[in-house]
Amino acid sequence: MEAADYKGKVKSSWCPGCGNHAVNTALRKAMARLGYKTHETAIVSGIGCSSRFPFFMSTYGFHSIHGRALPVAIGLKQANPKINVIAVGGDGDGLSIGGNHFIHAGRKNPNITYIMMDNEIYALTKGQCSPTSRIGTTTKCNPYAWTADRINPVLMALSFNASYVARSYSGDIQQLEELIYGGLVHKGFSFIHVISPCVQYNKVSSFEKIKELVRNLPENHDTSDRANAMKYAFAPEGLYTGVFYESIRPTYEERYQDVISKAKQIAGENYTIDDVIKQFK
Amino acid sequence: MRDIIIKITGTSGQGIISSGDILSYATARKGYYVTTYRAFPSEIRGDGKCYYTLRISEHKALTATGDIDILICLDKDTIFECINKIKPNGILIYDKDYTGEIETDRKDLIIYPIPTTSIAKELNSERSRNMVSLGIVVEVLKNLHIEEQILKDIELRYRLKPQEVIDSNKNALNAGIKYAKEQLERKDSYDKTEMKQTGAKLIMSGNEAIGLAALVSGCRFFAGYPITPATEIMEWLAKELPKFGGKMVQCEDEIAAINYALGASYAGVKSMTATSGPGFSLMQEAIGLASMAELPVVIADVQRCGPSTGVPTKTEQSDLFAAMYGTHGDCPKIVLAPMDVADCFYQTINAFNFAEQYQVPVIILSDASLGPRRECVDLIDIEKLKIVNRQKPTLKEGDIYNRYEDTQTGISPITSPGDMYGEHVITGLEHTQSNAPTPEPETHRKMTEKRFRKLETAAGQFSKAKTYGDEDASIGIISWGSTSGPVFEAIDKAHGKGIKVQALYPRTLYPLPTDWIKDFVKNKDVIIVIEANYNAQFKSTIVERCTHINRGTEVIEFLKYDGTPFTPEEILDEIEKVSQIQDEKDTIKTNKHTHF
Ligand SMILES: Cc1ncc(C[n+]2csc(CCOP(=O)(O)OP(=O)(O)O)c2C)c(N)n1
Ligand code: SF4
Ligand SMILES: [Mg+2]
Repeated sequence: MEAADYKGKVKSSWCPGCGNHAVNTALRKAMARLGYKTHETAIVSGIGCSSRFPFFMSTYGFHSIHGRALPVAIGLKQANPKINVIAVGGDGDGLSIGGNHFIHAGRKNPNITYIMMDNEIYALTKGQCSPTSRIGTTTKCNPYAWTADRINPVLMALSFNASYVARSYSGDIQQLEELIYGGLVHKGFSFIHVISPCVQYNKVSSFEKIKELVRNLPENHDTSDRANAMKYAFAPEGLYTGVFYESIRPTYEERYQDVISKAKQIAGENYTIDDVIKQFK
Repeated sequence: MRDIIIKITGTSGQGIISSGDILSYATARKGYYVTTYRAFPSEIRGDGKCYYTLRISEHKALTATGDIDILICLDKDTIFECINKIKPNGILIYDKDYTGEIETDRKDLIIYPIPTTSIAKELNSERSRNMVSLGIVVEVLKNLHIEEQILKDIELRYRLKPQEVIDSNKNALNAGIKYAKEQLERKDSYDKTEMKQTGAKLIMSGNEAIGLAALVSGCRFFAGYPITPATEIMEWLAKELPKFGGKMVQCEDEIAAINYALGASYAGVKSMTATSGPGFSLMQEAIGLASMAELPVVIADVQRCGPSTGVPTKTEQSDLFAAMYGTHGDCPKIVLAPMDVADCFYQTINAFNFAEQYQVPVIILSDASLGPRRECVDLIDIEKLKIVNRQKPTLKEGDIYNRYEDTQTGISPITSPGDMYGEHVITGLEHTQSNAPTPEPETHRKMTEKRFRKLETAAGQFSKAKTYGDEDASIGIISWGSTSGPVFEAIDKAHGKGIKVQALYPRTLYPLPTDWIKDFVKNKDVIIVIEANYNAQFKSTIVERCTHINRGTEVIEFLKYDGTPFTPEEILDEIEKVSQIQDEKDTIKTNKHTHF
């Protein structure tokens, strides 16, 4: 499979210059390297510009409702662990309306990849502040000043014990591909925070501005050190990119497989519906 | 005597529910019919009151309501609360050590003050007062011969507990029996009570029946969030699903729960969730998604008093509008209302069949009086059940697969991730037949019609409406869900008084089978719509949807919204009132005739 084979029938509706194009390309390249089969892969999203993603792919896809990409994706994966499940969406989708699910995805550790395209704005609804918008940003909804502090998605993911946490940005497609590839290969919940500028509604966090801020994590950063990863996530000196943290523990699906084994052991080999009904006799 | 009502009462934490459960299982297993009614506060401990009513009978009893034969009280407050509900010559059994001797004006009662606490203390287990009391009942009803079965049931109930627990419960029961045999001076005549044993039956709660039917239907994925009175469905499936390789996952909230279920359904697995009012409200947006994206899913709503947190433990039928119209947009779905525990089973089988066949969300409306209630169910013949699976296309390389193909039936064959050549994206956005999002007016119109066409296709498949009573009656009752017990019993009582009444339970509430209703009202002068809500939700639906009833037939409502289920007596009163008015009208008519 080539990266181009994963292109969907529906023509991309993203603006020329939108950061999301790079994410789509990087994902397709990473999938091609892994030889993902289109019929064994599902891209799940919520609502937003970034959430249009599944339509531009040739795999299975579920464009759900605002904020619910993760529960749909986790349910799908739990129901059929053989499917490669990738959840995608925006900062509003994943941190605001769907923030609760993000917390619980980290602690459950489903074997899925979650790519958040953070443009620090609600783009689809034509530019309102999001949980990652900077203090002082003005939009039609807050013409004088934005009044809430920002969420730090990488720090969030680390604190909920996501087992693979990385950050990249749409201006560096090579790094993006590597980090997404790492996330796909990782066994467990992998979170890739992508700073993905919106050229239409966010004049503050433009490609140029983000380019000034990003810097690679130091070569010697120990990715098994969660506390240190948090330190870099906090760093006031700039936006670190790269793999912050990586560790292996049983996945949500594996843990449930243990539940099934236990239940089957208690029930015995030849347990049938008739045995269930006997309980009521 | 062919029919006995026993009520066990006390404060929560005193073991009222467990002793009631043990007694109902034992009597059912012995071959009698049992139906129960439970009411309890949502806190497990505290000063909330618990009530467990059982009706043991030779024939299937319709309700557990009615006057009490034997009242067993473990605390003082409930004695005074319930004493006036005891039949003349009925029995009151109470713990005199716990409450002191009590005084009452009811001189017609047989009262057995028992030193229950002392008996339990002697066994070093004061907590077993409930079992000592149960022992007294077993001896009082010795001609039912349930002693041996009840000991077996204690063992079964506590089989996963340490042996001491089983022993102390058994010892307490035996001590109660012994006391009643040796020291109780019998003044009642319940020792002569005998009943025919009518053979093997199942005993289960409405919630368990829904869980069992899900399992039998092939449901292998359940996602939920705990809420009274629906949690039992989730607990039951948590225990059984993994034994069959299925999964029950507890989510962070109900929004997550239904979306997990939709993800699993997309994966091709039959999926469900269960909740009550507050959770049902949270699920509405995703129900619309299932409708728009045409994903099968089953949602059980075990209704309680609302709005908001309402009265979590009490019953109401006030989510009908929410079930039919709670989601924004034109949203095809199916709403089913089981009438009793057995029907919870069969309607859930239907729910999965409809969901899978028509690719719609199906909502089952149970309630707090039906979900936790244990009742006898006739044996279920699994082999005879029709189980439907979703229709899949046959695809080969190069085929163009249109997920939302606009067919005559409205049903478009569906693939799941893992199926070759069936890749597609599903969406809550309006879409073309090939699932591309579009705002194009013609497409929205056509696709809306396509989705609703599935309901027309489904209409022929709905299980027949249940009728009960005299076909030639001029008084009709139309009702839904758990009211069936008291309504049918009231109809029998009315019949005994020479008043003919017939009831109709459509069971499928949305889409409303207007033909059945039309047929039913044809020969009726008056229709009483009975339901447990303030807004007459079903009545207004019927009146709005079946304009033909407005002509000729008078439609009135009989409502209850205090959190308690209807009693047959209340309904009988209403029937008598209506019948009297009808008679008066007839007399006026006839008088007019004679004048001419
Ligand atoms: C329940 C609900 N509330 C509001 C909306 C409107 N809405 C659609 S997308 C969106 C925000 C999208 O922001 P983000 O997730 O950051 O995506 P982006 O467009 O920036 O990629 C909002 C508020 C909706 N679709 N559903
Ligand atoms: S509005 Fe912004 S986020 Fe949306 S497609 Fe255009 S550039 Fe991208
Ligand atoms: Mg955004």
